[in-house]
Amino acid sequence: MAFSIFHISNDELHKLYEDIIKNNETYAPVEHSGDYKFKKVNSLKECNTDAPIKTTASVKPLFFPQTSAIMHYSEDAKGIKIDDPKEDVLTHKKVILGVKHCDARGMQVLDSVAKWDWQDEDWIKRRENTVIFSTLCVTPENTCFCTSLDYDVKTTDAYDVLVVNDGQKKLLKVCTEKGEQFLEPYTGVLTKLNGEGDAKLKAEFTKFKNAFHLKMDYKEVNAKLQGAFENDGWDFESARCVSCSACAFVCPTCHCFKISDEKVRDKGVRYKSYDSCNQKYFTLMAGGHNPRTQKYRRWRQRGMHKFVYYKERFGVNLCVGCGRCTVKCPVNISIFEVVNNVANNI
Amino acid sequence: MNYSKQIQDIAVRLFTENKIDVFVGYRKNVGDDNQTPFIFKNPALCDKLVFTEKSTHNLTNYLTNETTKSKKVGLVVKGCDSRSLNLLLTEGQVKRDNLYIIGVSCDGCVDEKNEKEARCIACVMQSPVIYNEMLGIEKEKKTYTIDADLLKLKHMSLTERADFFTEMFSNCIRCNACRQSCPLCYCDKCVIDQDSSLYHNGANTTSNAGMALMTWYLHLAGRCVDCRNCERACPQNLPLHLLHKQNEMVIYENFQNHQAGMYEKDRGAFYKYNLSDPDDFIM
Amino acid sequence: MAETKVKEQNTVASVENPELPVDPNWEPVIVGILCNWCSYAGSDLTGTSRIQYPPNIRIIRVPCTSRIDPVMIVKALQTTGDGVLVSGCHPGDCHYITGNYFSRRRFLVVKQMLWTMGYHENRVQFSWVSAAEGAKFAQVVTKVCNDVKALGPLHRFKKEDIK
Repeated sequence: MAFSIFHISNDELHKLYEDIIKNNETYAPVEHSGDYKFKKVNSLKECNTDAPIKTTASVKPLFFPQTSAIMHYSEDAKGIKIDDPKEDVLTHKKVILGVKHCDARGMQVLDSVAKWDWQDEDWIKRRENTVIFSTLCVTPENTCFCTSLDYDVKTTDAYDVLVVNDGQKKLLKVCTEKGEQFLEPYTGVLTKLNGEGDAKLKAEFTKFKNAFHLKMDYKEVNAKLQGAFENDGWDFESARCVSCSACAFVCPTCHCFKISDEKVRDKGVRYKSYDSCNQKYFTLMAGGHNPRTQKYRRWRQRGMHKFVYYKERFGVNLCVGCGRCTVKCPVNISIFEVVNNVANNI
Repeated sequence: MNYSKQIQDIAVRLFTENKIDVFVGYRKNVGDDNQTPFIFKNPALCDKLVFTEKSTHNLTNYLTNETTKSKKVGLVVKGCDSRSLNLLLTEGQVKRDNLYIIGVSCDGCVDEKNEKEARCIACVMQSPVIYNEMLGIEKEKKTYTIDADLLKLKHMSLTERADFFTEMFSNCIRCNACRQSCPLCYCDKCVIDQDSSLYHNGANTTSNAGMALMTWYLHLAGRCVDCRNCERACPQNLPLHLLHKQNEMVIYENFQNHQAGMYEKDRGAFYKYNLSDPDDFIM
Repeated sequence: MAETKVKEQNTVASVENPELPVDPNWEPVIVGILCNWCSYAGSDLTGTSRIQYPPNIRIIRVPCTSRIDPVMIVKALQTTGDGVLVSGCHPGDCHYITGNYFSRRRFLVVKQMLWTMGYHENRVQFSWVSAAEGAKFAQVVTKVCNDVKALGPLHRFKKEDIK
């Protein structure tokens, strides 16, 4: 079933956003000392729905927060008592504006692992109750490479509504049933397009794809990497890595976490927080054995997981090409460069 | 300031004479004109080495990284970097015989916007204090000045300062990029990552971030050389230098004008004492 | 003769968080880190001399003040402490000869850093108390307790999910 494509003027779009913000719990990129973070907003002035990708944190913390207290307990003479779970604010019905399509695709990619052998109820509920509005980027950064990977921005259903530039107006392309139902009450201000919408969209998408600086042949790289486990290139390319976790924490698709307990006197909390395979002691086991003490092994694991293993297991590539890891890395290691160089034996 | 050709020649010579196994220098980034550390063993790659005012990273961090451990290393250092190298040598983290140090007498580095960095404007030691070979002319030591941001902070009220740091700690994502990029943070397993729950602060809450950062500031007091590797590394753009400069100022003013790593065999401020150290604040 | 502290109702909200409500039943928790050879022995003498001092202090014994990592002082403030008292031998009398020369450098840096961060300067205090100064120890503890009581409970940088 084909979903609607609407036309709307810029002013009307702003009014639409204002109305959404007034009637729904809405998150959007809010500026803070040069960077943008997704926060709850009460008016359109507080945020920037076109925030540039380079300085915007990914939308992942709204579905999988940096730290969440998963259990509270207290201890007394009779034993340990586990408190009732506290309310999870992120499972409320909400709308997120200004999500980059690479981020939205990242969330979709993570659905596979959240619904795999163990159902991650928190994640599933948060995803179900969220409507995502995405804005098609006009100028990609020189670290972006989403169009080279295995998803097509034109046909993906990772976001519910896509906002595309069309000269002085905007096109709203609905991509899912959820989006169609969400925009129902607004059909008064939206001009529904019939055939001509597709042609306009096609032109914008082609312009978008051609604006990219970084391009790779994904199928070829994926095929070559399958046999690149013993390649010396991993050691050379990762030599300057400092084994921090910056890339994993800003990545929209990294999903490793650790559980830690904290206690003061007789009350305690159990936390689930981000972890990263880059850390030296990530693979440390009880008993002391650590399979990945060497840095190149950890980097190889990261590259292969992003471009080979996840695709093998779930049929979708884990890396979505947003380029944030490159921007935030202390020494600017580019996963695009590393993976290309190893695959092509440079 | 451009010493690219000289450094390339020296690197080629060192490899040919078999004096080094690995060279640590700078090369240009692929996507823009910033520079990035470049570590390599193949002499054919020497022509990629550069050194200009964009060479701002402190490379001594790699001496305690597994990439160069127990190997013979050729290294490029500026004034500030050479001071952290002195401390690494004193603290036994690297052997002097394993190093060939190319010291550059630096005119100051620029940041991504091509403006001279604040720390370079306030630089006290532009020339390297330890080297095998020096490039550029030796410059005199300059007088210490108190950081402007720190002075602004000291004029704020108690609650304003507390709010400022609470906000800073709440923005920290505990990625550890600062501590991993710091040349003087070389503990294999950091005290805050130890399994013992005395210090362990795994989850990223504001109080844990505060604890982690305060631990780092206190363990680096008297050893920090203001290379700003940490601030450049931070993905959240936190003003990490403030409390380092605070500790540096207290140590300079109270402990016989001590500055970290100024001469060979120098020790950090907490590993020395003087009978005239002030203690009038102690009852 | 050291004064005995009379139990009184708290009327002060936290000085670092004046917006929070006053808790009338709050009693300060002072974490005391004492060196074994001088200050701890001194506190023992206070007890055997039957000199009263406030019960708010919880004592941790260390072999020498130079064993104290400045981070321990910060950790004490993060968990349950509203104030910290660190006490050692007089300079020149350290059981390990030079320990307290090193530790007084660290004390100065910690005190100044905590002030810059927004802790009130009276939250962390230091003293030299010898094994014969039982009366002085009682005076010191009373002073610290009174100072911290006037500042109110510490709420900054505490573990937020555990109340």
